[in-house]
Amino acid sequence: MIALYRFLFLIFLIVLWWVISLNVRANFIPSPWATLLAAQKLLADGKLIVALGDSLITFAGGYALGILVAIPVGLVMGVFLPVGKTLEIYVYALAAMPRVAFIPLIIVFLGLGFPAKIFIVFLGAVMPVLINTYAGVLAVDQELIEMARSVRAGRMQIFARIVLPSAVPFIIVGLRLGATIALINTVVAELYTAVRGLGGLLAIYGNTFRMAEYFVIVIVLAIIGVIVSEGLRHLEKRLVRWKTSD
Amino acid sequence: MTSGNSSGEAAAAASAKIVLSGVSKAFERRNSGTPTMALQHLDMSVPEGHFVSILGPSGCGKTTVLRLVDGLVPPDSGSVVVAGQAPRPGPEMGFVFQAFRLIPWATVQANVEFALTATGLNKHERAERAARYIALVGLQRFAQSYPGELSGGMKQRVALARAFASEPSILLMDEPFASIDAQTRELMQVELMKLWAQHRATVLFVTHSVDEAIMLADRVVLMSPRPGRVIEEIEVDLPHPRWQYDIRATPRFVELRSYLWAAIKDLVLNDPSSDFYAPTSGNAGTPAD
Ligand SMILES: Nc1ncnc2c1ncn2[C@@H]1O[C@H](COP(=O)(O)OP(=O)(O)O)[C@@H](O)[C@H]1O
Ligand SMILES: [Mg+2]
Repeated sequence: MIALYRFLFLIFLIVLWWVISLNVRANFIPSPWATLLAAQKLLADGKLIVALGDSLITFAGGYALGILVAIPVGLVMGVFLPVGKTLEIYVYALAAMPRVAFIPLIIVFLGLGFPAKIFIVFLGAVMPVLINTYAGVLAVDQELIEMARSVRAGRMQIFARIVLPSAVPFIIVGLRLGATIALINTVVAELYTAVRGLGGLLAIYGNTFRMAEYFVIVIVLAIIGVIVSEGLRHLEKRLVRWKTSD
Repeated sequence: MTSGNSSGEAAAAASAKIVLSGVSKAFERRNSGTPTMALQHLDMSVPEGHFVSILGPSGCGKTTVLRLVDGLVPPDSGSVVVAGQAPRPGPEMGFVFQAFRLIPWATVQANVEFALTATGLNKHERAERAARYIALVGLQRFAQSYPGELSGGMKQRVALARAFASEPSILLMDEPFASIDAQTRELMQVELMKLWAQHRATVLFVTHSVDEAIMLADRVVLMSPRPGRVIEEIEVDLPHPRWQYDIRATPRFVELRSYLWAAIKDLVLNDPSSDFYAPTSGNAGTPAD
Protein backbone atom coordinates (compact mmCIF):
# COMPACT_ATOMS: atom_id res chain seq x y z
CA MET A 1 0.00 0.00 0.00
CA ILE A 2 2.71 2.46 1.07
CA ALA A 3 4.72 1.38 -1.97
CA LEU A 4 1.79 2.30 -4.19
CA TYR A 5 1.42 5.71 -2.54
CA ARG A 6 5.13 6.31 -2.93
CA PHE A 7 4.91 5.45 -6.59
CA LEU A 8 1.92 7.76 -7.07
CA PHE A 9 3.81 10.55 -5.33
CA LEU A 10 6.75 9.99 -7.68
CA ILE A 11 4.38 10.36 -10.65
CA PHE A 12 3.04 13.53 -9.06
CA LEU A 13 6.58 14.91 -8.69
CA ILE A 14 7.39 14.15 -12.31
CA VAL A 15 4.19 15.82 -13.48
CA LEU A 16 4.96 18.81 -11.27
CA TRP A 17 8.46 18.95 -12.72
CA TRP A 18 7.01 18.78 -16.23
CA VAL A 19 4.51 21.59 -15.54
CA ILE A 20 7.26 23.77 -14.09
CA SER A 21 9.53 23.06 -17.04
CA LEU A 22 6.80 24.27 -19.38
CA ASN A 23 6.37 27.51 -17.50
CA VAL A 24 9.98 28.46 -16.83
CA ARG A 25 12.22 29.58 -19.65
CA ALA A 26 13.09 26.33 -21.34
CA ASN A 27 16.87 26.58 -20.85
CA PHE A 28 16.76 26.59 -17.06
CA ILE A 29 14.51 23.64 -16.27
CA PRO A 30 14.63 20.80 -18.77
CA SER A 31 11.50 18.71 -19.25
CA PRO A 32 11.50 15.15 -17.88
CA TRP A 33 11.58 13.91 -21.45
CA ALA A 34 14.65 15.99 -22.38
CA THR A 35 16.35 14.77 -19.23
CA LEU A 36 15.63 11.16 -20.14
CA LEU A 37 17.14 11.69 -23.60
CA ALA A 38 20.21 13.30 -22.05
CA ALA A 39 20.55 10.33 -19.68
CA GLN A 40 20.45 7.93 -22.61
CA LYS A 41 23.15 9.88 -24.38
CA LEU A 42 25.36 10.08 -21.29
CA LEU A 43 24.97 6.36 -20.75
CA ALA A 44 25.68 5.55 -24.37
CA ASP A 45 28.95 7.48 -24.60
CA GLY A 46 30.14 6.04 -21.27
CA LYS A 47 30.67 9.42 -19.59
CA LEU A 48 28.14 8.75 -16.87
CA ILE A 49 29.54 5.33 -16.00
CA VAL A 50 33.11 6.59 -15.75
CA ALA A 51 32.06 9.54 -13.59
CA LEU A 52 29.88 7.32 -11.42
CA GLY A 53 32.79 4.92 -10.92
CA ASP A 54 35.11 7.77 -9.92
CA SER A 55 32.61 9.17 -7.47
CA LEU A 56 31.79 5.81 -5.94
CA ILE A 57 35.47 5.10 -5.33
CA THR A 58 35.88 8.46 -3.62
CA PHE A 59 32.69 8.05 -1.60
CA ALA A 60 33.21 4.42 -0.59
CA GLY A 61 36.92 4.90 0.13
CA GLY A 62 36.41 7.95 2.35
CA TYR A 63 33.32 6.57 4.07
CA ALA A 64 34.89 3.18 4.78
CA LEU A 65 38.05 4.79 6.09
CA GLY A 66 35.92 7.04 8.30
CA ILE A 67 34.03 4.08 9.75
CA LEU A 68 37.22 2.10 10.29
CA VAL A 69 38.68 4.93 12.35
CA ALA A 70 35.53 6.26 14.01
CA ILE A 71 34.06 3.08 15.50
CA PRO A 72 37.22 1.85 17.27
CA VAL A 73 38.10 5.36 18.50
CA GLY A 74 34.53 5.95 19.71
CA LEU A 75 34.51 2.60 21.52
CA VAL A 76 37.86 3.24 23.18
CA MET A 77 36.71 6.71 24.28
CA GLY A 78 33.53 5.27 25.77
CA VAL A 79 35.09 2.26 27.46
CA PHE A 80 38.11 4.08 28.89
CA LEU A 81 36.37 7.12 30.24
CA PRO A 82 39.47 9.20 31.05
CA VAL A 83 40.44 8.91 27.36
CA GLY A 84 36.93 9.90 26.34
CA LYS A 85 36.72 12.88 28.68
CA THR A 86 40.14 14.07 27.52
CA LEU A 87 39.39 13.84 23.81
CA GLU A 88 35.71 14.71 23.62
CA ILE A 89 36.18 18.48 23.70
CA TYR A 90 38.53 18.29 20.70
CA VAL A 91 36.20 15.94 18.88
CA TYR A 92 33.23 18.26 19.39
CA ALA A 93 35.29 21.27 18.32
CA LEU A 94 36.41 19.55 15.15
CA ALA A 95 32.88 18.35 14.42
CA ALA A 96 31.46 21.85 14.79
CA MET A 97 34.04 23.34 12.43
CA PRO A 98 33.26 23.69 8.72
CA ARG A 99 35.72 21.21 7.35
CA VAL A 100 35.81 22.71 3.84
CA ALA A 101 38.23 25.11 5.51
CA PHE A 102 40.82 22.32 5.41
CA ILE A 103 40.61 21.81 1.67
CA PRO A 104 43.50 24.14 0.68
CA LEU A 105 45.68 22.47 3.30
CA ILE A 106 44.70 19.03 2.08
CA ILE A 107 45.57 19.99 -1.49
CA VAL A 108 48.98 21.19 -0.34
CA PHE A 109 49.71 17.84 1.28
CA LEU A 110 47.83 15.34 -0.85
CA GLY A 111 47.54 17.02 -4.22
CA LEU A 112 44.44 17.00 -6.37
CA GLY A 113 43.92 13.27 -6.98
CA PHE A 114 42.09 10.47 -5.23
CA PRO A 115 44.03 10.63 -1.95
CA ALA A 116 42.92 14.22 -1.39
CA LYS A 117 39.33 13.46 -2.41
CA ILE A 118 39.13 10.41 -0.19
CA PHE A 119 40.55 12.36 2.71
CA ILE A 120 37.94 15.10 2.31
CA VAL A 121 35.17 12.50 2.39
CA PHE A 122 36.83 10.80 5.35
CA LEU A 123 36.88 14.06 7.30
CA GLY A 124 33.17 14.49 6.78
CA ALA A 125 32.16 10.93 7.61
CA VAL A 126 34.36 10.28 10.62
CA MET A 127 32.90 12.75 13.12
CA PRO A 128 29.22 11.76 13.21
CA VAL A 129 30.11 8.09 13.41
CA LEU A 130 32.65 8.70 16.16
CA ILE A 131 30.41 10.94 18.24
CA ASN A 132 27.46 8.57 18.03
CA THR A 133 29.56 5.52 18.85
CA TYR A 134 30.92 7.32 21.90
CA ALA A 135 27.42 8.41 22.97
CA GLY A 136 26.17 4.86 22.48
CA VAL A 137 28.78 3.41 24.82
CA LEU A 138 28.08 6.10 27.43
CA ALA A 139 24.35 5.36 27.26
CA VAL A 140 24.78 1.72 28.28
CA ASP A 141 22.49 0.68 31.12
CA GLN A 142 24.67 0.53 34.25
CA GLU A 143 22.18 -1.82 35.88
CA LEU A 144 22.77 -4.38 33.13
CA ILE A 145 26.49 -4.11 33.70
CA GLU A 146 25.96 -4.73 37.39
CA MET A 147 23.81 -7.75 36.52
CA ALA A 148 26.66 -9.06 34.38
CA ARG A 149 29.11 -8.49 37.21
CA SER A 150 26.82 -10.41 39.56
CA VAL A 151 27.23 -13.54 37.43
CA ARG A 152 30.98 -12.89 37.21
CA ALA A 153 31.08 -12.18 33.49
CA GLY A 154 34.54 -11.04 32.38
CA ARG A 155 35.38 -7.61 30.99
CA MET A 156 35.50 -8.86 27.42
CA GLN A 157 32.17 -10.58 27.85
CA ILE A 158 30.57 -7.49 29.33
CA PHE A 159 31.89 -5.52 26.38
CA ALA A 160 30.75 -8.01 23.74
CA ARG A 161 27.39 -8.97 25.22
CA ILE A 162 26.24 -5.75 26.90
CA VAL A 163 28.17 -2.64 25.86
CA LEU A 164 28.57 -3.21 22.13
CA PRO A 165 25.00 -4.35 21.37
CA SER A 166 23.61 -1.46 23.36
CA ALA A 167 25.71 0.96 21.29
CA VAL A 168 24.64 -0.52 17.94
CA PRO A 169 21.49 1.60 17.41
CA PHE A 170 23.54 4.73 18.10
CA ILE A 171 26.30 3.60 15.74
CA ILE A 172 23.74 3.12 12.99
CA VAL A 173 22.42 6.63 13.46
CA GLY A 174 26.04 7.78 13.11
CA LEU A 175 26.51 5.71 9.97
CA ARG A 176 23.43 7.35 8.45
CA LEU A 177 24.58 10.87 9.20
CA GLY A 178 28.08 9.94 8.09
CA ALA A 179 26.83 8.60 4.75
CA THR A 180 24.94 11.81 4.03
CA ILE A 181 27.93 14.00 4.78
CA ALA A 182 30.25 11.65 2.88
CA LEU A 183 28.09 12.03 -0.22
CA ILE A 184 28.03 15.80 0.09
CA ASN A 185 31.77 15.86 0.59
CA THR A 186 32.28 13.62 -2.43
CA VAL A 187 30.74 16.31 -4.62
CA VAL A 188 32.57 19.07 -2.76
CA ALA A 189 35.87 17.26 -3.21
CA GLU A 190 35.26 16.80 -6.92
CA LEU A 191 34.45 20.47 -7.31
CA TYR A 192 37.44 21.79 -5.35
CA THR A 193 40.20 19.37 -6.35
CA ALA A 194 40.80 17.87 -9.80
CA VAL A 195 37.41 18.16 -11.48
CA ARG A 196 36.23 14.59 -11.96
CA GLY A 197 33.37 12.27 -11.23
CA LEU A 198 29.75 13.28 -10.81
CA GLY A 199 30.76 16.50 -9.08
CA GLY A 200 32.99 17.30 -12.03
CA LEU A 201 30.18 16.74 -14.53
CA LEU A 202 27.92 18.86 -12.35
CA ALA A 203 30.42 21.71 -12.62
CA ILE A 204 30.87 21.33 -16.36
CA TYR A 205 27.18 21.13 -17.23
CA GLY A 206 26.24 23.78 -14.71
CA ASN A 207 28.76 26.27 -16.05
CA THR A 208 27.72 25.68 -19.66
CA PHE A 209 23.98 25.70 -18.96
CA ARG A 210 23.44 22.17 -20.27
CA MET A 211 20.55 21.75 -17.92
CA ALA A 212 19.24 18.39 -19.15
CA GLU A 213 22.61 16.73 -18.50
CA TYR A 214 22.94 18.63 -15.26
CA PHE A 215 19.61 17.23 -14.07
CA VAL A 216 20.70 13.70 -14.92
CA ILE A 217 23.66 14.05 -12.54
CA VAL A 218 21.49 15.52 -9.78
CA ILE A 219 19.10 12.60 -10.08
CA VAL A 220 21.92 10.05 -10.04
CA LEU A 221 23.25 11.62 -6.82
CA ALA A 222 19.80 11.45 -5.30
CA ILE A 223 19.52 7.78 -6.24
CA ILE A 224 22.89 7.01 -4.62
CA GLY A 225 21.67 8.72 -1.46
CA VAL A 226 18.48 6.67 -1.42
CA ILE A 227 20.30 3.39 -2.03
CA VAL A 228 22.82 4.00 0.74
CA SER A 229 20.24 5.04 3.32
CA GLU A 230 17.92 2.15 2.44
CA GLY A 231 20.86 -0.25 2.77
CA LEU A 232 21.57 1.13 6.24
CA ARG A 233 17.93 0.81 7.17
CA HIS A 234 18.03 -2.87 6.28
CA LEU A 235 21.22 -3.33 8.26
CA GLU A 236 19.51 -1.70 11.23
CA LYS A 237 16.50 -4.00 10.91
CA ARG A 238 18.77 -7.03 10.96
CA LEU A 239 20.90 -5.86 13.86
CA VAL A 240 18.19 -4.56 16.15
CA ARG A 241 15.41 -6.99 15.40
CA TRP A 242 14.93 -7.48 19.16
CA LYS A 243 13.22 -4.09 19.24
CA THR A 244 9.50 -4.74 19.08
CA SER A 245 8.48 -1.22 18.13
CA ASP A 246 7.67 -2.16 14.51
CA MET B 1 27.16 -29.58 58.27
CA THR B 2 25.05 -28.74 61.33
CA SER B 3 27.11 -28.56 64.45
CA GLY B 4 24.46 -29.93 66.78
CA ASN B 5 22.75 -27.52 69.12
CA SER B 6 24.38 -24.15 68.87
CA SER B 7 23.48 -22.20 71.95
CA GLY B 8 24.22 -18.52 72.30
CA GLU B 9 24.27 -15.63 69.87
CA ALA B 10 27.97 -15.81 69.14
CA ALA B 11 27.87 -19.44 68.12
CA ALA B 12 24.86 -18.75 65.91
CA ALA B 13 26.66 -15.88 64.21
CA ALA B 14 29.77 -17.98 63.71
CA SER B 15 27.88 -20.74 61.92
CA ALA B 16 25.80 -18.27 59.89
CA LYS B 17 26.15 -18.24 56.12
CA ILE B 18 25.80 -14.46 55.85
CA VAL B 19 27.02 -12.07 58.53
CA LEU B 20 26.91 -8.29 58.35
CA SER B 21 28.36 -6.55 61.37
CA GLY B 22 28.44 -2.83 61.99
CA VAL B 23 27.97 -2.11 58.30
CA SER B 24 27.67 1.48 57.15
CA LYS B 25 27.28 2.61 53.57
CA ALA B 26 26.82 6.11 52.14
CA PHE B 27 26.24 7.18 48.54
CA GLU B 28 27.38 10.41 46.94
CA ARG B 29 24.52 12.54 45.79
CA ARG B 30 24.91 14.17 42.41
CA ASN B 31 23.62 17.63 43.21
CA SER B 32 24.47 18.07 46.84
CA GLY B 33 27.57 17.88 48.97
CA THR B 34 26.24 15.70 51.76
CA PRO B 35 26.13 11.98 50.97
CA THR B 36 23.05 9.85 51.66
CA MET B 37 23.52 7.47 54.55
CA ALA B 38 21.98 4.35 53.07
CA LEU B 39 22.92 2.10 56.00
CA GLN B 40 24.30 2.82 59.46
CA HIS B 41 25.70 0.27 61.90
CA LEU B 42 23.68 -2.55 60.49
CA ASP B 43 23.96 -6.02 62.03
CA MET B 44 22.31 -9.00 60.42
CA SER B 45 23.06 -12.68 60.23
CA VAL B 46 21.45 -15.45 58.25
CA PRO B 47 22.04 -19.10 59.21
CA GLU B 48 22.72 -21.53 56.42
CA GLY B 49 19.58 -22.79 54.75
CA HIS B 50 17.36 -20.15 56.31
CA PHE B 51 14.87 -17.96 54.54
CA VAL B 52 14.96 -14.38 55.79
CA SER B 53 12.58 -11.67 54.62
CA ILE B 54 13.64 -8.03 54.78
CA LEU B 55 10.68 -5.72 55.20
CA GLY B 56 10.72 -1.95 55.20
CA PRO B 57 9.59 1.20 53.44
CA SER B 58 11.29 2.45 50.26
CA GLY B 59 14.70 3.98 50.71
CA CYS B 60 15.61 2.13 53.90
CA GLY B 61 18.54 0.39 52.24
CA LYS B 62 17.10 -3.05 51.44
CA THR B 63 18.59 -3.16 47.94
CA THR B 64 21.89 -1.90 49.32
CA VAL B 65 22.00 -4.82 51.78
CA LEU B 66 21.64 -7.29 48.91
CA ARG B 67 24.31 -5.56 46.81
CA LEU B 68 26.69 -5.64 49.76
CA VAL B 69 26.05 -9.33 50.37
CA ASP B 70 26.62 -10.11 46.68
CA GLY B 71 29.91 -8.19 46.80
CA LEU B 72 28.82 -5.72 44.13
CA VAL B 73 29.65 -2.78 46.39
CA PRO B 74 31.99 -2.67 49.38
CA PRO B 75 30.88 -1.35 52.78
CA ASP B 76 32.32 1.96 53.97
CA SER B 77 32.88 0.45 57.39
CA GLY B 78 32.01 -2.75 59.18
CA SER B 79 32.29 -6.16 57.61
CA VAL B 80 30.35 -8.41 55.30
CA VAL B 81 31.19 -12.10 55.50
CA VAL B 82 29.60 -14.69 53.26
CA ALA B 83 30.42 -18.37 53.74
CA GLY B 84 33.39 -17.36 55.87
CA GLN B 85 34.88 -14.99 53.29
CA ALA B 86 34.55 -11.53 51.83
CA PRO B 87 31.79 -11.83 49.24
CA ARG B 88 32.63 -12.12 45.56
CA PRO B 89 29.92 -11.87 42.91
CA GLY B 90 29.36 -15.03 40.91
CA PRO B 91 27.13 -17.97 40.11
CA GLU B 92 27.34 -19.26 43.71
CA MET B 93 24.88 -16.47 44.52
CA GLY B 94 21.74 -15.89 42.49
CA PHE B 95 20.43 -12.32 42.33
CA VAL B 96 16.87 -11.50 41.31
CA PHE B 97 16.93 -7.76 40.65
CA GLN B 98 14.13 -5.36 41.36
CA ALA B 99 13.53 -4.38 37.73
CA PHE B 100 14.35 -7.71 36.04
CA ARG B 101 17.53 -6.50 34.28
CA LEU B 102 17.08 -8.82 31.33
CA ILE B 103 19.30 -8.28 28.30
CA PRO B 104 16.92 -6.83 25.69
CA TRP B 105 18.87 -8.10 22.66
CA ALA B 106 19.24 -11.64 23.98
CA THR B 107 16.55 -14.31 23.79
CA VAL B 108 15.11 -15.82 26.96
CA GLN B 109 17.39 -18.83 26.43
CA ALA B 110 20.46 -16.61 25.97
CA ASN B 111 19.54 -14.51 29.00
CA VAL B 112 19.46 -17.56 31.25
CA GLU B 113 22.61 -19.02 29.69
CA PHE B 114 24.41 -15.74 30.34
CA ALA B 115 24.07 -16.37 34.09
CA LEU B 116 25.98 -19.63 33.63
CA THR B 117 29.01 -17.92 32.05
CA ALA B 118 31.30 -18.50 35.02
CA THR B 119 29.99 -21.88 36.16
CA GLY B 120 32.52 -24.04 34.35
CA LEU B 121 29.74 -25.82 32.44
CA ASN B 122 30.44 -26.32 28.75
CA LYS B 123 28.31 -24.80 26.01
CA HIS B 124 26.09 -27.84 25.66
CA GLU B 125 25.55 -28.18 29.40
CA ARG B 126 24.74 -24.50 29.71
CA ALA B 127 22.09 -24.76 27.00
CA GLU B 128 20.58 -27.81 28.64
CA ARG B 129 20.58 -26.30 32.11
CA ALA B 130 19.01 -23.05 30.89
CA ALA B 131 16.31 -24.94 29.02
CA ARG B 132 15.50 -26.95 32.15
CA TYR B 133 15.01 -23.87 34.31
CA ILE B 134 13.05 -22.06 31.61
CA ALA B 135 10.71 -25.06 31.52
CA LEU B 136 10.52 -25.01 35.31
CA VAL B 137 9.03 -21.51 35.24
CA GLY B 138 6.71 -22.56 32.42
CA LEU B 139 8.27 -20.57 29.60
CA GLN B 140 9.57 -23.30 27.30
CA ARG B 141 7.42 -21.98 24.46
CA PHE B 142 9.07 -18.58 24.79
CA ALA B 143 12.70 -19.69 24.95
CA GLN B 144 13.45 -18.01 21.63
CA SER B 145 11.48 -14.82 22.38
CA TYR B 146 13.06 -11.50 23.27
CA PRO B 147 12.21 -9.86 26.61
CA GLY B 148 10.38 -7.07 24.79
CA GLU B 149 7.84 -9.61 23.61
CA LEU B 150 6.97 -10.84 27.12
CA SER B 151 4.53 -9.60 29.75
CA GLY B 152 5.78 -8.31 33.09
CA GLY B 153 4.99 -11.57 34.84
CA MET B 154 6.82 -13.57 32.20
CA LYS B 155 9.89 -11.32 32.44
CA GLN B 156 9.83 -11.89 36.16
CA ARG B 157 9.83 -15.63 35.63
CA VAL B 158 12.82 -15.33 33.29
CA ALA B 159 14.63 -13.40 36.01
CA LEU B 160 13.82 -16.19 38.48
CA ALA B 161 14.96 -18.89 36.07
CA ARG B 162 18.20 -16.99 35.54
CA ALA B 163 18.86 -16.71 39.27
CA PHE B 164 18.03 -20.37 39.92
CA ALA B 165 19.84 -21.80 36.90
CA SER B 166 23.31 -21.71 38.41
CA GLU B 167 21.86 -23.62 41.39
CA PRO B 168 23.31 -21.14 43.86
CA SER B 169 23.64 -21.83 47.55
CA ILE B 170 22.53 -18.26 48.26
CA LEU B 171 19.58 -16.46 46.71
CA LEU B 172 19.22 -12.69 46.91
CA MET B 173 15.77 -11.59 45.83
CA ASP B 174 14.83 -7.92 45.54
CA GLU B 175 11.05 -7.46 45.53
CA PRO B 176 10.73 -10.18 42.93
CA PHE B 177 6.96 -10.31 42.93
CA ALA B 178 6.24 -6.61 43.32
CA SER B 179 5.31 -5.96 39.72
CA ILE B 180 3.19 -8.98 38.86
CA ASP B 181 -0.53 -9.47 39.24
CA ALA B 182 -2.00 -11.00 42.39
CA GLN B 183 -2.89 -14.41 40.95
CA THR B 184 0.50 -14.93 39.34
CA ARG B 185 2.13 -13.78 42.53
CA GLU B 186 0.33 -16.42 44.63
CA LEU B 187 1.42 -19.13 42.21
CA MET B 188 4.99 -17.87 42.09
CA GLN B 189 5.16 -17.77 45.87
CA VAL B 190 4.14 -21.41 46.06
CA GLU B 191 6.66 -22.27 43.32
CA LEU B 192 9.37 -20.50 45.27
CA MET B 193 8.47 -22.38 48.48
CA LYS B 194 8.65 -25.69 46.63
CA LEU B 195 11.97 -24.86 44.99
CA TRP B 196 13.35 -23.78 48.30
CA ALA B 197 12.12 -26.97 49.99
CA GLN B 198 14.12 -28.96 47.43
CA HIS B 199 17.34 -26.97 47.32
CA ARG B 200 17.39 -25.33 50.73
CA ALA B 201 19.40 -22.35 49.60
CA THR B 202 20.05 -19.54 52.04
CA VAL B 203 17.64 -16.81 51.01
CA LEU B 204 17.50 -13.07 51.59
CA PHE B 205 14.14 -11.93 50.30
CA VAL B 206 13.27 -8.22 50.11
CA THR B 207 9.61 -7.31 50.03
CA HIS B 208 7.11 -4.54 50.68
CA SER B 209 4.38 -6.98 51.54
CA VAL B 210 3.88 -7.97 55.15
CA ASP B 211 1.89 -11.07 54.17
CA GLU B 212 4.55 -12.23 51.75
CA ALA B 213 7.31 -11.63 54.27
CA ILE B 214 5.64 -13.82 56.89
CA MET B 215 4.39 -16.48 54.53
CA LEU B 216 7.78 -17.31 53.03
CA ALA B 217 10.28 -16.69 55.78
CA ASP B 218 11.76 -18.29 58.87
CA ARG B 219 12.53 -14.82 60.09
CA VAL B 220 11.38 -11.31 59.23
CA VAL B 221 13.84 -8.45 59.57
CA LEU B 222 12.20 -5.04 59.82
CA MET B 223 14.27 -2.10 58.60
CA SER B 224 13.80 1.61 59.11
CA PRO B 225 14.97 4.43 56.85
CA ARG B 226 17.26 7.48 57.19
CA PRO B 227 19.63 6.01 58.06
CA GLY B 228 18.86 2.44 57.18
CA ARG B 229 19.07 0.05 60.12
CA VAL B 230 17.45 -3.05 61.56
CA ILE B 231 14.86 -2.22 64.18
CA GLU B 232 13.25 -5.58 64.78
CA GLU B 233 13.69 -9.28 64.02
CA ILE B 234 10.83 -11.72 64.35
CA GLU B 235 11.00 -15.49 64.12
CA VAL B 236 8.16 -16.99 62.12
CA ASP B 237 7.47 -20.24 63.93
CA LEU B 238 4.95 -21.66 61.50
CA PRO B 239 5.52 -25.19 60.24
CA HIS B 240 6.81 -25.99 56.74
CA PRO B 241 5.74 -26.87 54.09
CA ARG B 242 3.41 -23.94 54.13
CA TRP B 243 1.75 -24.41 50.76
CA GLN B 244 -0.06 -27.41 52.19
CA TYR B 245 -2.32 -25.41 54.46
CA ASP B 246 -3.97 -22.02 54.47
CA ILE B 247 -1.32 -20.18 56.43
CA ARG B 248 -3.25 -16.92 56.46
CA ALA B 249 -6.00 -18.58 58.49
CA THR B 250 -3.72 -19.59 61.37
CA PRO B 251 -3.98 -17.47 64.55
CA ARG B 252 -0.20 -17.11 64.68
CA PHE B 253 -0.10 -15.58 61.19
CA VAL B 254 -2.82 -13.10 62.09
CA GLU B 255 -0.94 -12.19 65.23
CA LEU B 256 2.39 -11.65 63.45
CA ARG B 257 0.71 -9.73 60.70
CA SER B 258 -1.00 -7.20 62.96
CA TYR B 259 2.16 -6.80 65.00
CA LEU B 260 4.28 -6.04 61.92
CA TRP B 261 1.65 -3.73 60.47
CA ALA B 262 1.58 -1.70 63.65
CA ALA B 263 5.36 -1.47 63.66
CA ILE B 264 5.50 -0.32 60.03
CA LYS B 265 2.73 2.21 60.51
CA ASP B 266 4.67 3.71 63.42
CA LEU B 267 7.77 3.85 61.27
CA VAL B 268 6.11 5.64 58.40
CA LEU B 269 4.12 8.07 60.51
CA ASN B 270 7.21 9.06 62.47
CA ASP B 271 9.48 9.51 59.45
CA PRO B 272 9.68 13.23 58.69
CA SER B 273 10.48 12.60 55.06
CA SER B 274 7.58 10.27 54.38
CA ASP B 275 4.41 11.46 52.67
CA PHE B 276 2.37 10.32 55.63
CA TYR B 277 4.40 12.06 58.32
CA ALA B 278 2.10 12.81 61.26
CA PRO B 279 3.81 13.25 64.61
CA THR B 280 1.64 11.55 67.20
CA SER B 281 1.71 14.62 69.48
CA GLY B 282 -0.41 16.75 67.17
CA ASN B 283 -1.60 15.86 63.71
CA ALA B 284 -3.31 19.11 62.79
CA GLY B 285 -3.36 19.88 59.12
CA THR B 286 -2.09 16.55 57.87
CA PRO B 287 -4.55 14.68 55.72
CA ALA B 288 -3.57 11.30 57.14
CA ASP B 289 -5.54 8.26 55.89
N1 LIG C 1 23.84 3.99 43.55
C1 LIG C 1 23.31 4.91 44.39
N2 LIG C 1 23.66 6.20 44.27
C2 LIG C 1 23.15 7.13 45.10
N3 LIG C 1 22.28 6.88 46.07
C3 LIG C 1 21.88 5.61 46.26
C4 LIG C 1 22.37 4.56 45.41
N4 LIG C 1 21.80 3.40 45.81
C5 LIG C 1 21.00 3.73 46.85
N5 LIG C 1 21.05 5.04 47.13
C6 LIG C 1 20.32 5.73 48.21
O1 LIG C 1 20.45 4.95 49.37
C7 LIG C 1 19.21 4.83 50.04
C8 LIG C 1 18.81 3.37 50.16
O2 LIG C 1 18.56 2.87 48.86
P1 LIG C 1 18.08 1.38 48.57
O3 LIG C 1 19.05 0.43 49.16
O4 LIG C 1 17.84 1.28 47.11
O5 LIG C 1 16.70 1.33 49.35
P2 LIG C 1 15.45 0.35 49.18
O6 LIG C 1 15.86 -0.79 48.31
O7 LIG C 1 15.08 -0.06 50.58
O8 LIG C 1 14.35 1.17 48.56
C9 LIG C 1 18.21 5.66 49.27
O9 LIG C 1 18.10 6.92 49.89
C10 LIG C 1 18.84 5.80 47.91
O10 LIG C 1 18.48 7.02 47.33
MG1 LIG D 1 15.09 -1.39 46.48
